[in-house]
Amino acid sequence: MLKNSFLLCTGECYLHVPVQQPIFICKKRNRSIKSAAAAAAAVAYNATSSSAAAAASNLEISSASSPSSFPLFQTPSSLQPTPASELEPADPDFYKIGYVRSVRAYGIEFREGPDGFGVYASKDVEPLRRARVIMEIPLELMLTISQKTPWMFFPDIIPVGHPIFDIINSTNPEIDWDLRLACLLLYAFDCKDNFWTLYGDFLPSADECTSLLLATEEDLLELQDHNLASTMREHRQRALEFWEKNWHSAVPLKIKRLARDPERFIWAVSIAQSRCINMQTRIGALVQDLNMLVPYADMLNHSFQPNCFFHWRFKDRMLEVMINAGQRIRRGDEMTVNYMSGWKNNLFMQRYGFSSPVNPWDVIQFSGGARIHLDSFLSVFNISGLPEEYYHNSRLSNNGYNFVDGAVLAAARTLPTWSDGDVPPIPSIERKAAKELQEECQLMLAEYPTTAKEDQQILDSMPEARRTLEAAIKYRLHRKLLIEKVIQALDVYQEQILF
Amino acid sequence: MVSSISPAWVLCQDNGISRRIVSVDGSVAKRLHLQGSKTSFARAFVTSIWQLKVGLHHSSGNVRLLPCIKCENSNKEGSSFEQVSVEPPPYHSYLDSTSGQLEPASGARASIPGQEFWPEGTASRVRAARAPEPMGASTTSPSYGQNPGSRRKKYKASVASSETSETSGVPDIPDDVLEEPKELLSEYVVYQSEPEEENLSHYEMDKKIGRPHPFIDPKAKKPVEEPLTSEELWWNWRKPEKEQWSRWQRRRPDVETVFLKAMAETGQIKLYGDHPTMTETSLYRARRHIYKEERLKAEQERLERIGPLAYYSEWVKAWKRDTSREAVQKHFEETGEDENTQLIEMFTHQTDREYRIMMGTDVRIRRDPLAMRMREDQIKEIWGGDPVYPTINYIQDPDAVIDFRGPDFHEPTPDMLAYLKEHGKIISREELEMKLAKEKTEELEMTDMDEAMAQAVDIGENDDEGEESDDGEEEKISRNWSILKSNPELRKSKGKPKNNNLSLEEAIDDSENLTDFLMDFEEDE
Repeated sequence: MLKNSFLLCTGECYLHVPVQQPIFICKKRNRSIKSAAAAAAAVAYNATSSSAAAAASNLEISSASSPSSFPLFQTPSSLQPTPASELEPADPDFYKIGYVRSVRAYGIEFREGPDGFGVYASKDVEPLRRARVIMEIPLELMLTISQKTPWMFFPDIIPVGHPIFDIINSTNPEIDWDLRLACLLLYAFDCKDNFWTLYGDFLPSADECTSLLLATEEDLLELQDHNLASTMREHRQRALEFWEKNWHSAVPLKIKRLARDPERFIWAVSIAQSRCINMQTRIGALVQDLNMLVPYADMLNHSFQPNCFFHWRFKDRMLEVMINAGQRIRRGDEMTVNYMSGWKNNLFMQRYGFSSPVNPWDVIQFSGGARIHLDSFLSVFNISGLPEEYYHNSRLSNNGYNFVDGAVLAAARTLPTWSDGDVPPIPSIERKAAKELQEECQLMLAEYPTTAKEDQQILDSMPEARRTLEAAIKYRLHRKLLIEKVIQALDVYQEQILF
Repeated sequence: MVSSISPAWVLCQDNGISRRIVSVDGSVAKRLHLQGSKTSFARAFVTSIWQLKVGLHHSSGNVRLLPCIKCENSNKEGSSFEQVSVEPPPYHSYLDSTSGQLEPASGARASIPGQEFWPEGTASRVRAARAPEPMGASTTSPSYGQNPGSRRKKYKASVASSETSETSGVPDIPDDVLEEPKELLSEYVVYQSEPEEENLSHYEMDKKIGRPHPFIDPKAKKPVEEPLTSEELWWNWRKPEKEQWSRWQRRRPDVETVFLKAMAETGQIKLYGDHPTMTETSLYRARRHIYKEERLKAEQERLERIGPLAYYSEWVKAWKRDTSREAVQKHFEETGEDENTQLIEMFTHQTDREYRIMMGTDVRIRRDPLAMRMREDQIKEIWGGDPVYPTINYIQDPDAVIDFRGPDFHEPTPDMLAYLKEHGKIISREELEMKLAKEKTEELEMTDMDEAMAQAVDIGENDDEGEESDDGEEEKISRNWSILKSNPELRKSKGKPKNNNLSLEEAIDDSENLTDFLMDFEEDE
């Protein structure tokens, strides 16, 4: 393994946004410090596929992204270890307990790394016209609650008079979905013969969970984001209050033993928040919006260019994880889903406990009047599509240029731009505007107590840090990376402005 | 001509364990074997026997190698299964015409349709069923909800990644199974005890060789029996039983059928059987048509011959004058009234009855005399009953004795009076009076009871409407509904033998025909 791996590796490693549990791979490999020059050339906007960081040159290519090979270190792909091979396969019981209960996984395998579980393809898949199923999970194994009253649980594990139902009933239907799910999860752990008593062993424990609900005060301070920190404090407070209200000393034992201490409850809330899938399902003739905790599908990681999506098969009430149609998958690719689009990093952090430097929906607040021409910016980077769905059009760029990633898309969205029909941009004014924006970005970076490099160093120096601390540091690191990337993008823009 | 026997080719029969070793080549080689001449045939035959023996030995050798499924109790109780010899199929595999592939002979299943034809949901179920089971054993054990996250691998301690090889859970398929046959063949030398040809009969030999032979072994053949009689043959038509549980099962009346039957009853025609057949019916229909046409023609011809005045004077009884053509001519010359005027004048003398008769039909025979002679039920069969009073019961006579006798009326009518008396439901008046006298109740009450009892006991006691005493007309008046409707006075004089002083059984005895109670006939006019 090459220690002098490029920025791309580092950048890559954060592409597989570490979700709380199914955390991606390759973090262990990337301890190098990025350099701006290398970064510009080598970052691959390759969020879907694995980062073949070990080879440090060839990257796994997914159809949605542009080819990323760094010409100097090209190695044939057959020798290239897939990211999957870096990880250990998961405990065989993990799939077996599901297989016995009619869960099926086709052509994929579950692997575990230091950052958690991940789902990897075990064989190549040609681009097909139809979406292929890779996992199917029956309804009986899930824990679901309807999003609106009347509360309906599928499967209906809560008996009629159980006081947990009263607790669930007392929650606010709009807001407290995570508290409800947490109660249901805790109840399922206590329910005899429930699948979750077995599956719970594979969920991340409280010390592996990266959700900020479990973070200490110093972790929250490490975020270097006041708003997010206060939001998290509020959430934690809310969860704590809920626990105190419903698990006070006088509750019956069957409630009390579900969460003997508030930490367990807060852990359950963090699990519920980060692993919940909201789907509109049809069960029989009933169409419902459900909050679902699905056993094997929650091991899928997040990506902004996902491989897979969820589909509810109502015929036999299975949740299917299906590969996008027309997607080519190589052996060892990671299977990813888009958790939520349109959210900034802080929302991701808040709910899922991870962040990404290439979130195309990230927002930077610019003040000042400097504006750049939108159309020329987009054409410089070959970004096409409507503002809601900017994507890098790799067919237009013919030089294997991998600079454009989610951060650049975010820049395209969040930079102040003007666009006035056919009015051409005046290059000098554009350059001036770009410089002004760069200065603003530098100012923003300067506001942070640490720089990105320092953050990276801190991360490298603390391999045994708490997960929440790591996540917090990564969060601010990603933020700085984003801003740096915006600066670079503006540089490129200035160079490539056409006359 | 004996082909070389390849050691790899083994012909095995009757041994389920080693059946899989049989190949198609076996049959091919066999054919090669037997194409030779007679001399080589025997040798080929011998060698094929040798193969048989080898095969059997080989199969017995194989018993040790391959897993043998034995019953649990086979060693304890001694196998209690009877040894049934199953004749092996003549071929073990064939080229399936549907799929074009080589198919085993023992499958006995129609080819499964392709995936396009599966019902929906089958594809996913099949895929789920085909998914391989996960292999591998886990080192950790479940905590059943107590320690979430206990079975995850804790990586925090180890920084460097461990390049672990993937565990392959797929066991190697042992390939050494099929290597034995060659060695076995060379090891064993077989001495056969006796040639098998002695045991083969002529027929079996023919069959084995492939010469033309009858389908059935003549030794095992059973003689063809006498064919069954038509009564025994199950597909033969049988007459339905007499019993018919519903009246809807009777013969449906048709105009011609009923007519023919009535005619046969009155003796006009003779039927061959009690029911007219199709031939007779159609014959009758044809005859009737022809007769009608003849009559029509005759009438027309008569009209032309004698002139209208003479023709229509038949229906004008009051016209007594001469109606011949010459008289008409003479009258015309006298008075100047032409034929039509004379006709009109003639018709002014016609009564309405005659008019109705005349307008009814314009053939000589006004109505079919047979229809008039038909019985009421026969008429009703064809033309239906009165639409207003469709059944006889509508015309109700309060004194009517309703006859509830059914179609199989052969049971002796019980003597109701005696029956009731026997069971104590009825007592005679004298007994009643005696009882009452014993009880010494009030005189007034007794009278009332007496009245009631008197009314109840005696069937025949008649308090109400008067009786006519003319018995002569009773049978005469027809029960024809139209007549009754139009002539209401006939209703009263229906002429039932209403001898109210008779008891029931005397009344029955009195009537000559039981149907007299129901229907009376009347000659028309």
